[in-house]
Amino acid sequence: MSESKSGAIPVTVLTGYLGAGKTTLLNRVLTENHGKKYAVIVNEFGEIGIDNDLVVGADEEVFEMNNGCICCTVRGDLIRIIGSLLKRRDKFDAILVETTGLADPAPVAQTFFTDEDVKRKTKLDSIVTVVDAKHIEQRLADSDEAEEQIAFADIVLLNKTDLVSPEDLKKIEARVRALNPFAQIHHTARCDIALDKILDKGAFDLNRALELDPCFLHGHAHDPNHDHDHDHSHDHDHGHHHDHDHSHGTVNPLHDEDIRSISLTTAAPLNAAKFDAWISDVLLGEGQNILRTKGILNMAGNDQRFVFQAVHMVSEGSFTGAWPAKDKRRSRLVFIGRKLNEAALREGFLACVA
Amino acid sequence: MVSAVHTAGTGGKGRISTFAFGDYVVSAAVNGRLFAVALGDGTVRLIDGETLDAPSTTVKAHKGAALCLCADIDKGAFLSGGDDGRLVRIAPPATIDVIAEIKNRWIEHVTAHAESGVRAYASGKDAFILGKKSASPRKVTHASSVGGLAINPKGKRLAATHYNGVSLWWLAAQDGAATTLEWAGSHLQVAWSPDGNYVLTAMQENALHGWRLSDGEHMRMSGYASKVRSLAFSRRGHFLATGGSERVICWPFTGGGPMGKAPVEFGGAGGAPVTAVAANPVHDMFAAGFENGTLILGQAGPGGTALIMKANGNAVTSLVWSPDGDRVLAGTENGDVHIADFRE
Repeated sequence: MSESKSGAIPVTVLTGYLGAGKTTLLNRVLTENHGKKYAVIVNEFGEIGIDNDLVVGADEEVFEMNNGCICCTVRGDLIRIIGSLLKRRDKFDAILVETTGLADPAPVAQTFFTDEDVKRKTKLDSIVTVVDAKHIEQRLADSDEAEEQIAFADIVLLNKTDLVSPEDLKKIEARVRALNPFAQIHHTARCDIALDKILDKGAFDLNRALELDPCFLHGHAHDPNHDHDHDHSHDHDHGHHHDHDHSHGTVNPLHDEDIRSISLTTAAPLNAAKFDAWISDVLLGEGQNILRTKGILNMAGNDQRFVFQAVHMVSEGSFTGAWPAKDKRRSRLVFIGRKLNEAALREGFLACVA
Repeated sequence: MVSAVHTAGTGGKGRISTFAFGDYVVSAAVNGRLFAVALGDGTVRLIDGETLDAPSTTVKAHKGAALCLCADIDKGAFLSGGDDGRLVRIAPPATIDVIAEIKNRWIEHVTAHAESGVRAYASGKDAFILGKKSASPRKVTHASSVGGLAINPKGKRLAATHYNGVSLWWLAAQDGAATTLEWAGSHLQVAWSPDGNYVLTAMQENALHGWRLSDGEHMRMSGYASKVRSLAFSRRGHFLATGGSERVICWPFTGGGPMGKAPVEFGGAGGAPVTAVAANPVHDMFAAGFENGTLILGQAGPGGTALIMKANGNAVTSLVWSPDGDRVLAGTENGDVHIADFRE
């Protein structure tokens, strides 16, 4: 499923709680001269500026879809709209989907895995979540959606950073990182970020995401004080970080109902058949609680990296490309979700060792 | 007005005329001697089915893409809906009348019934029923977006599919609730059996669902390799031909319907799924198009198939027969339109 689809139109999903700054970002995409033509699917026409790009209003219609043995929710309106957009003569380079502030990102993401036509002609490029740095603590305290939007993100735009102190910002970033160990985090004041940092990044495609973020494999992908993406960049060399041992899971201690992440690593090669059987079982049983899974795995007897990812129960995995020569071969698997049984997951994971 | 590259040649069976329109063929329809195709560039092209060598006529019907097309209630005219929110009537030679316009919305489905003079179209959750003599349409709203429309053969009822079922509306009524046929899941294309007793839907899942109206009996047909997309009853209603599989799957509707019976299959194109089917209006025969561009004729049951066009990688999106059943038009994803002519 993750073979590269030549000519597939990249889709960026834009999420974020009300007032986080989604509209500001949307307006920039619509008005800036970035040389690309976007089809933008919005949930309401509202205050957005419309120039040359194609803007389509959508009513969020979440459907349950039964796909053989698994049941998942998809966005029926997106299936219809994208299906029709693909027939147009005025071709566009990319699609941007805005979700409402209260939307669960899962049905949007799952749409790109489950509908045949959408799957054949588009590819999910990244889920970008805009976070209001000033109000995020409050949002996380009073809504599940704000938490889920961060958990699902491939890219987090920590916005309105000018309204919080540097100390608070560090805390907030640590909080975001605890919810989502693999997202790239950018700091902005008014969504002022070069658009090429968030659009057409291939961040959802795990294989490309790894190129963007070679640290993912080593279990300290983005510690809060170590951001190599945001604007006041500091040079650093990945090489000297690679000796840490992370064979233990890292967990942030929160309540049972809260979203948390579990990161599992091992240097021992895995048995591909055992892993496949185990992860299928885990996702089938716990897929409602597991929001996202990402992993890069070292399979015994295969010189290529096995990359794996899932949105709830919908998963894809394939051998894609050689291990970088300087890397040690090492498996890492990250689960983000609720009610995760860390001990059982770790035990199951380690039982896949060849 | 003439733009298409037009070539003609003799295929394996019949003489094939090809129009290269260059844009995705969204839908095809026929009315009398005229064929029409609606394209992704918003135009509707009219082709004279009698003299296939003549150039086609281009009608600029929509600003964006055309989304749906059907024959209108009187001879030679068509209705098309587009993502510019317009429902237009196209009459030869190239007249355009705007029948309805809904700002910031798309007109996604349209159908019309010549004998009763009723037209129906849908935009989002709303369907609109326009009687022959009414100045404004009756609007009926569903809980979710309409996935398909069909008027029953007698021209009395409209079936509108949506999430979790189908709503049946009486066309003559000015008010009153719909009869709902329920089944979990998203329902898309819909067809009535010629006797009006069965309603069948192609679903978002790889399955077909059906209801027998006389007793409310359900039928569920699954096992398709992909979305069914296209369904057509044979002219007398003995079989329902469906897409979505590597062969044309035909469900028998004689002797109490298909429940508990195995379907009859025909055709095949090297494993590519069937993307469009159409029943011949005069002979017991179907045309079927495949995702790889193969076009065949065949019958439910023994009798074999005839290859009209070999695989060319260009998926068939729409199929329509001439009223005499001696010509069939196939529209494709890249904008090629083929008409196979079987006249002596």
